[in-house]
Amino acid sequence: MAGKIVVKFYGLLRRQVHAPVLEIASDELNILQLLQLAKDKTGQNFLSELLDPEKKLLTGTIILVNGENIRLKQNLETLVRGGDSIDLFSPAGGG
Amino acid sequence: MNGWMGKITKIDLGSLEQETVAIDDEMRRRYLGGRGLGVKLYTDLCSAKTDPFAPDNALIFMTGPLTGTVMTSGRYAVVSRSPLTGTICDSSSGGSFGAVLKSAGLDGLVIQGRADHPVYLYIHDGGIEVRDAAGLWGLNTQQTQKAIQEQTPAKTSVACIGPAGENRVAFAAIMNDKDRAAGRGGMGAVMGAKNLKAIAASGSQAVTIADPEGYKAMNARLERIIDKNPVTGKALQVLGTSVLVNIINAHGMFPTENFRRGMFNDAEGTSGEKIAESLLQRQSACYKCPIGCGRTTRTKNKHGEGPEYETVWAFGAQLGVSDLTAITEANYACNELGLDTITMGSTIGCAMELSETGAWKEKLDWGDASKLLAFVEDTAYRRGIGAELALGSKRLAEKYGRPELAMQVKGMEIPAYDPRGVQGMALSYATSNRGGCHMRAYMISPEILGHPVFLDRFSTVGKAEIVALFQDISALVDSTVLCRFLQIAMGISTFTEMLRTVTGLDFSDEELLKIGRRIYTLERVFNNRAGFSRGDDTLPPRFFNEELQTGSSRHRLVRLEEMLDDYYSVRGWDKEGVPLPRTLAELGL
Ligand code: SF4
Repeated sequence: MAGKIVVKFYGLLRRQVHAPVLEIASDELNILQLLQLAKDKTGQNFLSELLDPEKKLLTGTIILVNGENIRLKQNLETLVRGGDSIDLFSPAGGG
Repeated sequence: MNGWMGKITKIDLGSLEQETVAIDDEMRRRYLGGRGLGVKLYTDLCSAKTDPFAPDNALIFMTGPLTGTVMTSGRYAVVSRSPLTGTICDSSSGGSFGAVLKSAGLDGLVIQGRADHPVYLYIHDGGIEVRDAAGLWGLNTQQTQKAIQEQTPAKTSVACIGPAGENRVAFAAIMNDKDRAAGRGGMGAVMGAKNLKAIAASGSQAVTIADPEGYKAMNARLERIIDKNPVTGKALQVLGTSVLVNIINAHGMFPTENFRRGMFNDAEGTSGEKIAESLLQRQSACYKCPIGCGRTTRTKNKHGEGPEYETVWAFGAQLGVSDLTAITEANYACNELGLDTITMGSTIGCAMELSETGAWKEKLDWGDASKLLAFVEDTAYRRGIGAELALGSKRLAEKYGRPELAMQVKGMEIPAYDPRGVQGMALSYATSNRGGCHMRAYMISPEILGHPVFLDRFSTVGKAEIVALFQDISALVDSTVLCRFLQIAMGISTFTEMLRTVTGLDFSDEELLKIGRRIYTLERVFNNRAGFSRGDDTLPPRFFNEELQTGSSRHRLVRLEEMLDDYYSVRGWDKEGVPLPRTLAELGL
């Protein structure tokens, strides 16, 4: 395993998860599993900012794996491993 | 009449003659108001030969049929020919000025001529009074508003220029309701050239609603929609538009040091999250707005409004500056002096690169925040180095023999999204009727933020159609006149419903889209006559030739040629970007 998975929290997630970065040591897992793990590790249930009750991505949720949107990969089934960097953004807008 | 007040007045500031502009029902139905009706009136009154600063150039302030009614309806549009770009231009601003103008009895006013001394207009009871403004000339926008409010009844709303507009800086803004700006395209300079310091309005006339019962129920429902949407109901309130800083940076397309890089090392330090935990005093909102994306902030020395996302970027990453206080105070200064923050910051970035290459002898350093305030002030007064910055980036870079270093389209500086990372936005910038602007078709929404649907940002397939559609919808919303942020939570049919309920006219979604297309095409016809064509629908060479080196947009370039022919064909324009006779006929132009 090449290092840890680095998870970064942005936007409204910051109000719930008090440290903006979380490092997770784990075998390969998918994004949904990673989110569950992050929830357990932080003790904060931030999942509702990102997912709907059926555990699907909310419109506007952005999750990047090494800068690439998981919607262009396998969505929540996208696999990640040590050394990957994951950015989590709750739905946002602006101009 | 429902929705509209039914009166638009034309005033000549030279002769002081006033007349009512004849608008029939058909014209209202075809152009609505705001940007659309403004563009129609402008193109009827002025030609592509009209100099933006000439007395005969028209400066048009317009509200729309929804102004003063539903949520976010305090806005107004200003239409004229831009001294920055030479294109037709409309600029829109929030606050409450639009709603108050209607309560004073006017849907809009058309201003021509030049006053022989500084004046301001006071509008009430459907009439316009021309008042002396000699004592106001030279005041900043905050002082001006305060001084006029002391001479007028309570709740008077004022739209005015500051020193930048007086000095005809080509990117001077019009400011209203303290810090709301009609920022882009130099409408403030056109106002200054007319010796017009301000327009003040007050009144109590109500807009009549065709279906009051339906209106009440609709508003309650719309409030719930806004509230339930995670962006309009929460994210924009808590974090403001600068929440985009980290998002755009993570996509490797946050323009840094005049678009040479797509990632800024200190993005985090200038982010919306950071502002929320440091400078933010409270959120602020325009008239009847449940969203409230505005930021009332405080630094150690001053307080004011902002910065918004674009401004955080323009005085931050664009210059390599990470000092949030300096960025915020430069923003306050632009508000006070009446300057567009995007063009101001982008032009300073261009100057920094000119300086670095040795093309310009002035010494300007990336990341140096210490001179920002002086740059802004000197620009507004056109003194010293500011006399050069007041040219805007295109003219500045041309003057020093390096036109390619100006990050602009048709003379307007492009905002805070590097087009190499987002192909649809690149097409949107290139084909925008007022130059490098994100508000004609905000492709960031689908290509980055994923609403209403998520699109692959690096693909060019199908982008032409969506850009054209977004441009039409934006022209429509700008003519109603409501805030674009409503579109985050609402589709076209909601706008149709609002228009039907307020005006009583049986609009359909298709008809509204056609109105948007008509407006966009009419603007294009004006620009064609002014000499703009395919060769101007492009971007600075940097975006075609220089790959970004870091981040998730690395090795990407803009592939405009893959989209442009498609775009013209979707629009019914020829290969040179000129609308075909059948297109004009279909739209009744
Ligand atoms: S969302 Fe923001 S810009 Fe739009 S009306 Fe509300 S406060 Fe004004």
